[in-house]
Amino acid sequence: MTRHTRLIMQMIYWAFVLYLFIPLSLMILMGFKDSNFIGFPIKSLTLDWYVGVIQDMEILSIFGYSFTIAISSTAIALVIGTWAAMLLTKASFKGKVILFALITLPAVVPGIISAISLRIYSQTLGIDPGMMAVILGHAVHSVPFVTLVSMARLNSQPLSHVEAAQDLGADKLVTFFRITLPYLVPALIGAGIFCMLTSFDDFVRSFFLGGYEPTLPVYIFAQLRTGMSPEINAISAVVLLITAVMGLTAERLLRRK
Amino acid sequence: MSSKVTPDSGSDPKGFWSWLVTNKIYQSVFGFLLGTPKRQFFLLAFIPIFWALFANLGPLLKMLDISFYEAYPLSVGKESSYSLAAWSEFFQSRVYYIPFFRTLAFSAALTFSALILTYPVAYFLARHVPQNRQMFFLLIVLIPFWVGEIIRTYAIMILLGNNGAVNIVLKFFGLIEQPIPFMYTSFSLSFGIVYLVSLYMLLPLYSSLEKIPSNMNEAAADLGAGAWRRFWKITLPLSKDGITAGCVLVFLISTGFYATPVILGGPSSTLFSEVIANTFSVAADRWPSGAAFSSIMLITTLTLAAVFLKIMGRGGKGLLK
Repeated sequence: MTRHTRLIMQMIYWAFVLYLFIPLSLMILMGFKDSNFIGFPIKSLTLDWYVGVIQDMEILSIFGYSFTIAISSTAIALVIGTWAAMLLTKASFKGKVILFALITLPAVVPGIISAISLRIYSQTLGIDPGMMAVILGHAVHSVPFVTLVSMARLNSQPLSHVEAAQDLGADKLVTFFRITLPYLVPALIGAGIFCMLTSFDDFVRSFFLGGYEPTLPVYIFAQLRTGMSPEINAISAVVLLITAVMGLTAERLLRRK
Repeated sequence: MSSKVTPDSGSDPKGFWSWLVTNKIYQSVFGFLLGTPKRQFFLLAFIPIFWALFANLGPLLKMLDISFYEAYPLSVGKESSYSLAAWSEFFQSRVYYIPFFRTLAFSAALTFSALILTYPVAYFLARHVPQNRQMFFLLIVLIPFWVGEIIRTYAIMILLGNNGAVNIVLKFFGLIEQPIPFMYTSFSLSFGIVYLVSLYMLLPLYSSLEKIPSNMNEAAADLGAGAWRRFWKITLPLSKDGITAGCVLVFLISTGFYATPVILGGPSSTLFSEVIANTFSVAADRWPSGAAFSSIMLITTLTLAAVFLKIMGRGGKGLLK
C-alpha cells in the first residue's frame, strides 16, 4: 500500500482512540468539578467528590458487596469451566458437540433474556432474589468463557507431560492436580480476572436477580434515574481505574505463552 | 513407587501428595472411583453435564414452560393451568410487536455501523502496525471496554447532554444558538450502543485479518492488481470469518441491552428489552407474558444468527478436536 493510505489508516485509528477516550475523560474530569451541576462550563476544580467517595461508608460497603459477588461467582466458574474443558478435550464420547453447545450456550443468549430466565428459574427453585441468586447468575454467564480459554490452553498441552507422570505411577487425579492444573494456571488467572470484571460490571443480571442491596452498577443506575451528580463521576472514575489495572494484569497473563 | 516415602505434616506440597496417595482412605475411595474407564468418565462428566442441563438449559426451558401458564407466580391455593394467552398477547398489540421489530432492525443497523467503523481500525492494527507493537496498539483500544455498560452509558450522557461537550463545542464555534437535543432519541441510543459493542466487532476482525499472509498481497501486486482490487479479491474474502463472527456477536449482544435504552433512549425508541422488563417490574402477575416475549425474542435472534452463519458457511468447532 502507498504511504498515503497508510497515513489515512493511521488517522482513522487515532480518531477511533479519541472516540473511545473522550467520553470517559470527560466523565473523569466532571468528577473534579466544584459544583453540583453536571455540564459545561467548568469554573473551578475540587477533590471533594473523590474524598467523599472514599469516606462514604455506604459506597464502600457496596464496593465490598460487588467484590464478594465477583469473587464467589468467579470461583464457581473456574471450577466448573475447567472441569468442562477437561471433559471436552480429554474424553471422547457421543454427543460431545451437543455438550459443547450446551456448555457455551449462555455466551449467545442476549443479556436481558438470560436475566429474565434466571429470575424465573431461581423463583421456581425457591432461591429468593439476593446475593445467592446474583452469584449463581454471574457464574452461569462466566462458565463458557473459562471453558473456552481452558480448552485453548489444554489443546496446546504437550501430551508427553501427562504420559510421563502416568508412567511414574501417578493416577489420573494426581496427574491432573500436579501436571495439568499447574499448566493451566496462567490461563485460569487471566480468565478469572476477566470473569471478575464481567461480574463487577454486570448490570442486567444483578438488577433482576438482586434483592434490596444493590451492586455497584445497580446503585449507579438508581442514582442516574434521580439525576446526575459529580459523586457518580467520582465513583465511576475509581471503578475505571480498578478495571484498567485488573484488565491489564489479565491481558498479560492470558497472552503469555 | 511411593511406598518408601514417610508421611509428613503436609506443609510441603511433595510431602502432601505422597501422604495423600499412600493414605488408606484415599486409596480405597479413588481406587474405586478411578477403577474402570467407565467410572473415570463418570467422575469427569458428571459435574459438567449437570451444569449444562440445570444451569444453562434449565432456566430457558423453565421460561418456556412458564410462558404457557395462565398466571405466575401462583397465588396461594390456586392450581396452575396452561394457556396460550401470553403468546397471543404479543401479536395483539402494537405496543409489543413494534418494539420487537424495531429492536431487530435497530440491532442489524448498529451491527453494520460497527462493522464499517471498526474494519479500517482492525485493518490498520493487523496490517500496518509492526508485529511487536500490535499488542500495545490493541491494548489502547481495549482499556475503555473493560469499564462496564452503566459507566460507559453515563459517559455518553455527559458527552451528548444539552450542556454536554458536543453542544458546548458547537456553541463555542458559533454553529448553534440553542443546544441540539441529542439525548433521549434514537441517535443517542445508537451512538451509545455502538460505543458499547464496537470491541466485539474489532477483535474478531483483527484476528482474522492478522492471519492473512502478507505474501498473498505482494504476489497480487506483482501480478499487477491495484490496491482496491487486492482488497476486494484477497483481503475482504479472507476476513470473512472475522466479519461473520463479529456480526453475530454484536447482533446478539445489542439485542440484549436493557439499561442503555432506559437511560439513553426516549419514548419513540423503546426497545423490546424494556417491554420484557416491564412485565416483571410493573405488574408482578404478568410473568407468563414476559416469559413468552423473551422466548419469542430468543428463538428469533438465535434463528437469525444460525441462518446468517449458514449463509456465510461457518461452523465454528475449531476447539473440538
